[in-house]
Amino acid sequence: MASQPRPIPPDAEIRAIVGHQFPGGPYTVAHWENFLLTECTGAELLPGGMVHPVVLFHMPILGSRTTIGEMFALGQAESDYSIGIESYDWEMFEPLREEVPYAVSGKVVAAERMIQPEGRMYDRIQFQFEVAQADGVLAARTTITWHYNRGARS
Amino acid sequence: MKAAVGDEIPGWLMESVRPERMRTMAAILRDPNPVHWDRDACDAIGFGQRTINQGPLGLSYMVNMLHAWAGPGSITRLIMTFPKAVLDGDRITARGEVTGLREQSGRRYADCRIWLDRGPDDYPLQGTASVRLPD
Repeated sequence: MASQPRPIPPDAEIRAIVGHQFPGGPYTVAHWENFLLTECTGAELLPGGMVHPVVLFHMPILGSRTTIGEMFALGQAESDYSIGIESYDWEMFEPLREEVPYAVSGKVVAAERMIQPEGRMYDRIQFQFEVAQADGVLAARTTITWHYNRGARS
Repeated sequence: MKAAVGDEIPGWLMESVRPERMRTMAAILRDPNPVHWDRDACDAIGFGQRTINQGPLGLSYMVNMLHAWAGPGSITRLIMTFPKAVLDGDRITARGEVTGLREQSGRRYADCRIWLDRGPDDYPLQGTASVRLPD
């Protein structure tokens, strides 16, 4: 995406992305991927091929067939620096395992313009992803809530 | 395993947050944000020549703390907020305390407050966790 600040999008354009569904698809966490991710956390590999939960950030995004860059663009981020994290909510129903295919889906569940009393404006956009086992059992659900800051930083 | 409301979860120390781990993470995440790998980009927005740790990496230190306490696969939910940035070179300790205990379908769960501690009154990540306790 462009590194130059963009104009503030109309409020209606932001609200209109609610319900946007990513294509979705299968995702398998490879051993090398889990190995490197786990090393980044400073931990040892978990037993029995269990995947480190830190995978729950990128696996749902990539498995949904989107990218962080596309999520920035969907909310018309002013720049790569303009995104703030409100929260990450990770629900884990079953441990995820290496080299096991999962079905991933994702969509935009909320998008609204916020103006703070001090005048700060941002768009609060919430993405929700689900990771299911081959038998359809839900293994994990993640909710990402980002602030797309408007006019505050460039 | 015994647990009681008010119990402190043993801390988990990341002695020094390392920039090369942020770069590996950025590659795996396909994260285009240069604040995780370009010191000049960080300097330009007021962080000096120190790259900014990815949110999920900071969160992972608390995962490691909870795994060390209750075992791998024990975490059922994490909700995390990110009031401040964690920077390369930071010395960070993941900490937590038990705020509630409950039973569900014959299993015991602990609800916890968790946070990253960088020093006095400096808690860059704060959140909650639910953990299934081992028998």
